[in-house]
Amino acid sequence: MDFQNLDDISKTTYCIPYIPQGAQPDLTPKSFYEDRDLEDGRELRFEAYRVAWSKCLRRMQEIVHELQDASVKDVVKETRESYTNVLPGLPYPELPVITLTNLSLGATLLDKVSTNLEQDEHDTEEESFRCTTIHLYPGDVPTLAAGMRAIISGFVDKERMAEMVERKPTSSLANYDIKYLVAWYKSWAHEQGYSNLVIVLHDFEQFDTEVMQDIFYICSGQTSVLPLVFFLSMTSPLSNYLNITYPRATLSLLRVRNFSAPSGPQILQEILLKTFFDTNFQPDIMIGPAVLEYLQDYFTRFHPSVDAIFTVVHLVHLRHFSSEPLTVLVNDTPANQALSNTKASAFVDFLQKRIRISHRNNEDTNMGDDSISSTIEATNAIRKDFRRRMIDMKIGFQLIVLFQSFLEEQGYKGLDWSQSPEKREGLGRAMLLLLDDSLKKYVKQIGVFARKLKREELMIVLNRIYQFLHSLPIDISAAEQPAKLHNTSMRMEIKQSPDSEDVFDAASENFSGWIVGYISEKIKSLETCALWDIWYTGRSLFPAELINPSIRASLLAGLLRPHEFADDINENLAQRPDAESRTIRDLPDTSILFKRYLDSSKLINVYDWYESFKSVLDDQRQERLREVTASRNQSPRKKAKGKGKGKAKALSQPAAEMDLALEDDEKWDIRVQARFIRALHELDYLGFIKHSGRKKDHLMRTVFDIDNAE
Amino acid sequence: MEETTCNFPGYEDFHYELGTLFSTYPPPFIYVRDPETSRTTSIVIDSILRNLSGASSVPTTTKIHYARVDCVSSFTARLIYESIINTLVGWEPTWQDGCGNWSSPQDIRWNDSLDSFIHGLRAAHAHLSQQKASTSTDKTNDGKVRFVIVVERAERLSDSLPELLVPFTRLAELARLDLSVVFLSQVEWEDIKPPLGASPDPYYMDIQSLSKEDIVRNLISNFPALSKISRSNSILQNIYHPSLKSLYAHFITILCDVCYPFTHNLQELQYIAAARWPGFRKPLLDEYKEQQRQMAADVEAARMRLNRLFNSTITTALDALLPRLTNAADWARDNEPPEGVFSLPRGQWQPQQQQQGLTVQQQDENMTNLPRISKFILIASFIASTNPPKSDLRMFGRGVDERKRKRRATKAAGKSKSGGPPKVAQRLVGPTPFVLDRMIAILGALLEDNDVESRLADRQLTIPGEHTDMEIARVGIFSSVMEQTSMRLLHRTTHADRLDGPPMFKCAISYDAATVLAKELKITLNDLLWDPIA
Repeated sequence: MDFQNLDDISKTTYCIPYIPQGAQPDLTPKSFYEDRDLEDGRELRFEAYRVAWSKCLRRMQEIVHELQDASVKDVVKETRESYTNVLPGLPYPELPVITLTNLSLGATLLDKVSTNLEQDEHDTEEESFRCTTIHLYPGDVPTLAAGMRAIISGFVDKERMAEMVERKPTSSLANYDIKYLVAWYKSWAHEQGYSNLVIVLHDFEQFDTEVMQDIFYICSGQTSVLPLVFFLSMTSPLSNYLNITYPRATLSLLRVRNFSAPSGPQILQEILLKTFFDTNFQPDIMIGPAVLEYLQDYFTRFHPSVDAIFTVVHLVHLRHFSSEPLTVLVNDTPANQALSNTKASAFVDFLQKRIRISHRNNEDTNMGDDSISSTIEATNAIRKDFRRRMIDMKIGFQLIVLFQSFLEEQGYKGLDWSQSPEKREGLGRAMLLLLDDSLKKYVKQIGVFARKLKREELMIVLNRIYQFLHSLPIDISAAEQPAKLHNTSMRMEIKQSPDSEDVFDAASENFSGWIVGYISEKIKSLETCALWDIWYTGRSLFPAELINPSIRASLLAGLLRPHEFADDINENLAQRPDAESRTIRDLPDTSILFKRYLDSSKLINVYDWYESFKSVLDDQRQERLREVTASRNQSPRKKAKGKGKGKAKALSQPAAEMDLALEDDEKWDIRVQARFIRALHELDYLGFIKHSGRKKDHLMRTVFDIDNAE
Repeated sequence: MEETTCNFPGYEDFHYELGTLFSTYPPPFIYVRDPETSRTTSIVIDSILRNLSGASSVPTTTKIHYARVDCVSSFTARLIYESIINTLVGWEPTWQDGCGNWSSPQDIRWNDSLDSFIHGLRAAHAHLSQQKASTSTDKTNDGKVRFVIVVERAERLSDSLPELLVPFTRLAELARLDLSVVFLSQVEWEDIKPPLGASPDPYYMDIQSLSKEDIVRNLISNFPALSKISRSNSILQNIYHPSLKSLYAHFITILCDVCYPFTHNLQELQYIAAARWPGFRKPLLDEYKEQQRQMAADVEAARMRLNRLFNSTITTALDALLPRLTNAADWARDNEPPEGVFSLPRGQWQPQQQQQGLTVQQQDENMTNLPRISKFILIASFIASTNPPKSDLRMFGRGVDERKRKRRATKAAGKSKSGGPPKVAQRLVGPTPFVLDRMIAILGALLEDNDVESRLADRQLTIPGEHTDMEIARVGIFSSVMEQTSMRLLHRTTHADRLDGPPMFKCAISYDAATVLAKELKITLNDLLWDPIA
C-alpha cells in the first residue's frame, strides 16, 4: 500500500481512502423464502419480471405519447405559422416567442416538439411552414457573445451548405455577429427555400435575464430578414413569468404566446385508468390498494410527473418479483421436467399446499392427485381464473364509471365521487375503493338511482351499456352474452310500449335489480382468488423510504444503530448477534461519540466529551486484549466472531489488533485523540455541532430530544 | 438650403435644426436625448440622413455618408467598427465570399483596434472621395465627403465599452475628417460623461414629448403606408382600405383621447390602435356586406354608435396591451365584436373587461397543479420572507396548555409613535431573505396544523408531531425547494457553491399568489402574518 507522508507540513489536509480488507459480503438481496425457491428461480423470475414490466411500461408510454401528441399539435402549428397571419398595422415587426409550460409530461415532450417541427409537412403545400430547430441550454449562454455565437454556429453548423466557403476570421464578420447569420440565411434560403429558424431554449428560467434581454433585442431587429422564432420551455407555473421577470421594453419587442401541457392529477388518473382498469389491456401484475394509495399520495404531494409514476410502478414490479418465489408462475408454469427435479421439491410442495388450501376454501372436492402434471394443470387453471376475475372487475368498474358520468352529464350529483376536472380526486378514490373491496355501497346507490331514472334517461343508459358491451374485445365479450341479451330485451320492452307507465315501472325495477346484481357479481375482491399473490400486490406496502426517505431520521438511525445498516443483509436473522448483547464498545467511533453527545446538556465541554469517549475506547482495548490472549491459546481462526463490523472492521483485523493491544500507553493516547478528532469532525460535518464561541472549550448541540431506546 | 419636408408632425423643429446642421457645418459631436420615444427619434434621424445622402435632394457640394450603429446589437468594439465602416461604404458582406468585410485598396486590417479603425475610416473616406470625384461630371465639385455616425442607445456604450466613449466623442479630431458623431440616448449626457473632462461638450438637442395633436396627426399620417401593405383592393380584405381613411382618423382621435394620459409613446399607441382597429371597423363592414351598398348614409350617427360601443374597450386594450399581458394579435382576436353588434340592445355586448382577471385565473390553474408540498413550501417561504424572524416563536410557538397566538396589536397605519416617518408595511418593502432551516420549521408548523388529515397514516409514528417531524426532513422537501428555485418561485440569495452555513432564500411569489394557495390549502394566511393586511 502506498502510505502517505502524514508529517508533510506543507499540506493542511490528507485524504486517507477507506480500503476494505477481506472478502466483501454479497450485497445482492436474496428472496426471504430462499429455501423454497427453484434452483434457477432468480433467473426465471427476472425473465418474468422483464416481460411483465416491459409490457406495462410500453402501455404507459403509449398513453403518455397520446397525451403529448394532443398538446404538441397546437404548439407545432403555432410555431410553423409564426410568420404568417401577422396582424397588420403594428409599429414594428414583433419577434415571435412561444412558451410551453410543462410540469408533468417529462423531457420527452420537447424532443417530440422538435422532431415534429423538423418533419416536412406533406399535407400542407406551403413552403413557409418549414422549420429548422436548434437547442440551447442555460450553460450555453453565459454571456451575450457566447450566446450569440451558440445561436449562430448552431444554425450554420447544422445546415451546412453544399459549397464550403473559405472564411478569413480576421477580415470577415465576427462569428457572433447577427449579420453573419443574416448573410448565411440569405444564401441558405436561396438554396433550400424559406424556413423558420426555431431556437429552443431549455429550462428558460435558468437563463440569465440580462443576457436574454439583449439577445431578444438583437434578434428582434432582424425579424424582417431572419424568420427567428424563440421557443421557451418552462416549468414555472406562473403564466406571467415573462411579465414578472423581463422589463416592458423587452416584452414590447416580443409577441408571446403561452401554451401549457396538461398537468395535475388527471394525468395520473388517465395512466392508471388505461393501464390497470382498461378492458383492452391486461397487465401481468395488478397493483394493490396500498401501492395505489401511495402512488396517488406521492404524485399529488411531491412529484406530479409521469416519471414519478413510472418509477413507482417499476419499483412495485421489481419488489414483487424479488420476494416471492411463486411469482415465477406469472405468465406460464415451468415444464414438468423442471419441476420434477429434486431441487424443486420444496417449491412444488409449497405450491401444492397453497392450491390445496384454496381448494378447501372453495369447498371444491374435485381435487386432483398430487402429481406434478396435475399441479401444473391446476396452476394454469388458476391463472386463467384470476385473469377472468380481473377482467370482470374492470367491466364492473367501467360500468360504474359509465353510470356516474351519465348522472353527472344529466346534472345529478350521482355518487359522492366525481370525475369532473374540478373534483379530480374522485376517480382516483373510486379506484382505491374498488381494490379495497369497498365499492359495494355505491352499487346499492346505483340501484336506487336506476330505479328513479326517467324513460328517456333509462334509454340513454341502456344504449350506452349496449355500446360498452359491444365494444369489448371479442375474447372477453363472448362471456358477456347474457348481459347483452338482457340489455337488448330491455330496450325492446321499453320501445314497444311507449306510453304504458306500468311496463316502464316494471322495466326500471328490472333494470335496477339487474345492474346491481351484475356489477356486484363482477367486482369481487381479487384476494379471494387462489394464489392471488402471484398476480396482485394486494396490501403489501410500497417501500416509500426508498424513494423519499427522511434524511434526518435515516441519519439518526444510522448513527444510533449502525450495525443494522452495515451488516450483511443476507445473513440470516437468527445468526445475527442480538442487538441486546451489543454494548456501546461494539459501535464505531462516530456512534460512540454521538451516544455520549445525546447524554450531554445543551453545551458540551469538549474535554469531558473526550474523557467519556476515551473510557469507552479503553474498555474496547481491554476487551481486545482479552480476546488476543485468549486466541493465542486457541486456534487463531475463531476469534473474529461476533465483532462489530463496518467502520470498526478495519481495526478488527487480527494482525493490526495484536499490535494495537500491545502498543504502549503513550501511543494509545495519541491514537485515541486522533480517533476522537476524526469522529468529532464527522459529527461536525453532519451538522450536529454549532461553534458558538460563547464559552471556551464548549460546543453547542444542535439536535435534541432524540428518542434513544438503547 | 432647400428644406426637405418633414413627415413627422411634432418633429419639425428638430428636423429643421438637425437637417441644417448636417448639410452645412455640423458640430463634431451632437448629443440627442430622448427619454421617451427614442425609437421614433431614431427613425426621424434616419429619414433626415437618408434624404440628405440621397444625391438629388442635396444641392451642396458635400456628399453625406452615414452609418447608424446600435450599441446593444454591437456589443463589442469589433462589431461597432465593422458595422460603421461597412455601412459607410455601403458594403454588404455575403456568404459566398466568406462574409468578408469591406477591404480598402491598401488592404489594411481595420477591425482590431481603435487605431486601425481610424485608419480604416480614413481609407473609407479616401475611397468614397475618389469614387465621388470619378463619378461627378461637375468639374467644380471638389469631391468632399462628409461622414455622419449615429450611435444609438449610447448609454450602453458607457457600460459595455467605456473605453470607446472618449474616442468616439473626439472622432473627428482623431480621424481628421469631415465627420460628425451623433449620440442618441435616453439618459442625460451628464450621467454617462467620462470623468476629467476627457470629452468635449456636445451640441445638445433634447426631444420634447409630443403633444396630443401631433400624436394624432402622426398616427393618421401612417395610414397611407399601411393601406399599401395589403395588395387587395377589396374593402373586406384590406383592413386599411383607403376609403376608410376618414373613419381611421376619427378612430385615432378617440383612441388618443383615452390613452394620451397614460402614454405618449407613438409606437405604443400605434400598437394599441393596430389591435383595436380591425374590431372597430367590423360593425360597419358587416352592415356594408349585408346591404351591399356604400357605407351607411348617416355617417355621423354611425360614428356616434361606434364611439359608444368601443370607448370602453379601448381602455381595456390599454390595460392589457401596455404592460403586454397579451399580444395585439391575440387581443384583437379575443375582442372582436360579434356579428351585427349594432342591432344588439344596448349593453348586450360586454367586451372582456376582465382581461387581467383572466390571466390571474389562468395563473390559478397552473398553481393548483403544483404538488401539495410545494404549495406549503411556498406559503412557508412567503411567511418567512414577510415576518421578522423574532416573531416566529410568538406566531408559531405553542404553550403546553393553550395555543393562542399572540400577535402584535395592529396599529392604525399612519404616524409612528416617535413622530418619525411612518414605517412601511413589510409586505410593501419586499421579501427579506431567510435561512432554509427557518422556513422548514415554519413548514413543520403549517403541516402540523393543516395537513395531518390528508396524509397517509403511519402506525409507527404515534407521538404527536412525530410524523410531521419525519415529513419535513424528507428528500422530497429539499428537492422541491431546489426545483422551485429553478422555477424562480424562490430565489437563492447565497451562492450555490458555498458549503458553510445554511443556504438563504427569498420568496418570489406575490401576496396574491400566496393568498390563492393559502385558500386552496385552507390556511388563514392573514392570521399568520406579523403585519396583517387589513
